[in-house]
Amino acid sequence: MLELIFTALLVASFVTLFVKNGRVAAVISLIASLLPVAAIIDWGNEFGLKIFSFGLEKSMDFPIAGITMHFSVTALAWFFGVMIFFLIPPIMLFSYSFFEKNRGFFPFMLFLITAVFGILLASDFLTLFFFWELMAASSFILVYMGRDRKAIISYLSFSVLSAVLILTGIALIYSQNGTLLFSNVAFSADEVTVSAIILMIAGFAVKSALMPLHAWAPFVYSKADEPFVAFLSGGLSKMGYYGMFLMLFALPGAKILQQYFDSTVATYILALIGAISAFIGTLLAFMEDDLRKLLAYSSIAQLGYIAVGFGIGSSLAITGALFQAFNHAFFKSVLFLAAGAVAYRTGKWKISELGGVAYKMPFTFMAALFSIFALAAIPITSGFAAKWLLYEAAVSNKYIFITPIMLIASVGAFLYSFRILYGVFLGENRHDDIKEAPLPMVAGMFLLVMPLIIFLIFPGYMLDMMHSALVNAGIGTVSHTNYVISTGMASYNTIAVVVGMMIAMIPAFLIYVLRKHRNIDFKDNFLAGEPYEIYGHISMHAANNFYKPIEDVLMPYLRRGATSFYMALYNAMGRVSKTVRRIYTGLSQDYAIYVAVFLLIIMGWLIW
Amino acid sequence: MVDFLIKIAVIALYTTIAMLVGILFMGIGRKIVARVHNRVGPPVYQGFIDIAKLLTKKTNISHGWIYDLALLFSLTGIILTILFLPIGGVKLLGTEGDAFLVLYLLAIPALGFALGAGASGNPNAAIGVMRALVMMLSYELPFVITMIALMIYYDTSSIAQIVELQRARWAIMIPPFMLAAAVADMALQGMLMEAPFDIPTAPHEIASGPMAEFGGKHLGSLMLYKAGTIVAYTTLFVDLFLGGGVVMHDGSILSYIVNFAVWFLLILLIFTLSLLINASFPRFRIEQAFKFYWKYEALLAFISLIWVYLMVIS
Repeated sequence: MLELIFTALLVASFVTLFVKNGRVAAVISLIASLLPVAAIIDWGNEFGLKIFSFGLEKSMDFPIAGITMHFSVTALAWFFGVMIFFLIPPIMLFSYSFFEKNRGFFPFMLFLITAVFGILLASDFLTLFFFWELMAASSFILVYMGRDRKAIISYLSFSVLSAVLILTGIALIYSQNGTLLFSNVAFSADEVTVSAIILMIAGFAVKSALMPLHAWAPFVYSKADEPFVAFLSGGLSKMGYYGMFLMLFALPGAKILQQYFDSTVATYILALIGAISAFIGTLLAFMEDDLRKLLAYSSIAQLGYIAVGFGIGSSLAITGALFQAFNHAFFKSVLFLAAGAVAYRTGKWKISELGGVAYKMPFTFMAALFSIFALAAIPITSGFAAKWLLYEAAVSNKYIFITPIMLIASVGAFLYSFRILYGVFLGENRHDDIKEAPLPMVAGMFLLVMPLIIFLIFPGYMLDMMHSALVNAGIGTVSHTNYVISTGMASYNTIAVVVGMMIAMIPAFLIYVLRKHRNIDFKDNFLAGEPYEIYGHISMHAANNFYKPIEDVLMPYLRRGATSFYMALYNAMGRVSKTVRRIYTGLSQDYAIYVAVFLLIIMGWLIW
Repeated sequence: MVDFLIKIAVIALYTTIAMLVGILFMGIGRKIVARVHNRVGPPVYQGFIDIAKLLTKKTNISHGWIYDLALLFSLTGIILTILFLPIGGVKLLGTEGDAFLVLYLLAIPALGFALGAGASGNPNAAIGVMRALVMMLSYELPFVITMIALMIYYDTSSIAQIVELQRARWAIMIPPFMLAAAVADMALQGMLMEAPFDIPTAPHEIASGPMAEFGGKHLGSLMLYKAGTIVAYTTLFVDLFLGGGVVMHDGSILSYIVNFAVWFLLILLIFTLSLLINASFPRFRIEQAFKFYWKYEALLAFISLIWVYLMVIS
């Protein structure tokens, strides 16, 4: 039955290729994208999410072209499946309104889902790599449809880099073991295995946009279609972390690294890289004026936390990292979709050109507001529990560099959150002629916000869901009930926070209700009743160069970044290629001379 | 059930007292600054008069539901924060969360305030919020470093636990924490938005910044929020470095009263110190404040953190 799901997804992908109407294609894709969800729910019976069961098999061997592809679902794959596949139906719902015509989003998105499904189920390295490349190819086509040269080139080159690194790693592992099955691979602490592990982690880090391998993300995120970017940031970036988890913990990579270096230095470096990603990504985010680029840098920052968790490697840290991955999948998808909805109505991306959208699109604003609470880890959503676990882990391991960097990066998240809230949604009302986003878009966004609220109150359910993945990897779990998480250092009771908030709200609520107010357009207030039009030439929206003072201080330090390094490399490659091209003059006598010289060299070498 | 009701009653009592203390402190603050400036100043109960006036105004103006969030979030958030801080050794909900939770709970009122200011549409309000957020980024770095130093030393992140562990000796008596407390006190100056860090509300530059457009019940509740922040931040400092003001441990009625009195005196001391600095310094520019915190303060904080780290691992 498992092969049926693959077939159905591929058939749906093929069918939508020929459907011109975007609405029809969206409906087909929506139905098809429910198949992996159903599979995940079915497998949930074994891993802690009991809803219903129709007896789907858990493993499959698929012989093709002389080799056998091994598929089986593990607890780890299941958890990442929950994170990724539940994103897709709401995104498809959003796309129903977003795409008038089917220009290729739906078929390649379905193909991408097939590839992701394959990666999660793969139980040998070859199958993993095969589907990894299918994923890279189909996502490349989706990036290509953005028709931006920089985005296409950077995505292609980094995908190739990722593929080369992973393939080299697989080859090294094969040379040591003679087998590619996860269950048969035995790691030993020698140079070859260690370099294989490091290469593969670097390859996976490209996908999860970890600094300094992040340079593709801002270009790609700002140019491709929004529903795809939502999935790219929310879903696909987690595939990199799936690979990392696989290498480090499901296969005992972390232990091997520790044995080989005789200390935790390698994983410490991973954690440090994650923390620096979080920090620099945040600083870059609040100086950005393009909404999509801001969200891209914010993605880099938020994904950095997951690497910190994996790097620290204690059960607390990994629980926090997986929780953060889950939260990020949902809130960042909502933010990208909200950005898409705003652009759908206004056609603008620059924060300094937007403003006052919330008065006309209140539901989009609410969805974005909740995801911003999650992003900034404010304890009104589940975003806090994840970061809290990570901080606890870092402090209890006495990581004196990483903890402050993580915390200050999280404070920085308030800065760019407010940039989004004020610059796009509040302030001067510049868009009187727009209306709320279409119902499917709003519904899609609210469906994605729901988990953030559920796991605020019951973070224990989330910890239950990742329980078997952690136990299988031999990591151990954090002690918790449904709503209390206890670590060795402190405990966090979500019910106390929620009930406390209700009690604390009483005075404010009484003040709010007992004193009547009347609503007045804000223009009447500070213009003292004068007509707004006579001030038409004055901008009432302080969104241009919003963080100028701090930018002036920080920019000199940030100018020499990784992106400028890659650009220098790119330009140097261009110059070299231009020089090389001079050989091809297009004159036949020149080529004849080349051949003659070549033959002379060969002859000279033979004689000598 | 009875336990639960008693707990609610204690919570209500302590938060009410905390808010009243905060309002009183606003009056005391104005008096102290006035005396330093050689003025007479308003009476110490001026805060009560102001808030009562604002909350009983008949004309209240709103600019939509996002503007009202400022009222709801700011007051709710600050009261919620106070619930998680031990006051005079009484842990209201202090065992249910920890210092990280308090740091993030403090963001709820700030964000609500920022939302309301943004929805008021006044560019000055937005600039004020920008300054407040940049200040937050600035002072949080040295502050969290000192907090991490405490957490590593006491091997717990729960504030209630840290207060408990300071029974024998307050943290400020341990050499590295003297340095840390000095750093945290300057961070406190920024948190309380007192000069030289009164940049966000700078009345002569940006018309009081975020509250430019607030009036009536909205401004009244924001003043309550301001009163709450004075208590919350000074209590946080006292809990972290001065043992929460706990001097008697026998659990008798008298000990509650004595501990409460000591807590009151300590936060008054901390607040007065902050006011004296406020009264004698002009205002920094925002980038100067940022550099001050990230260069000198962060360096000193980090020295204390490394010091503590070396003490702990040896």
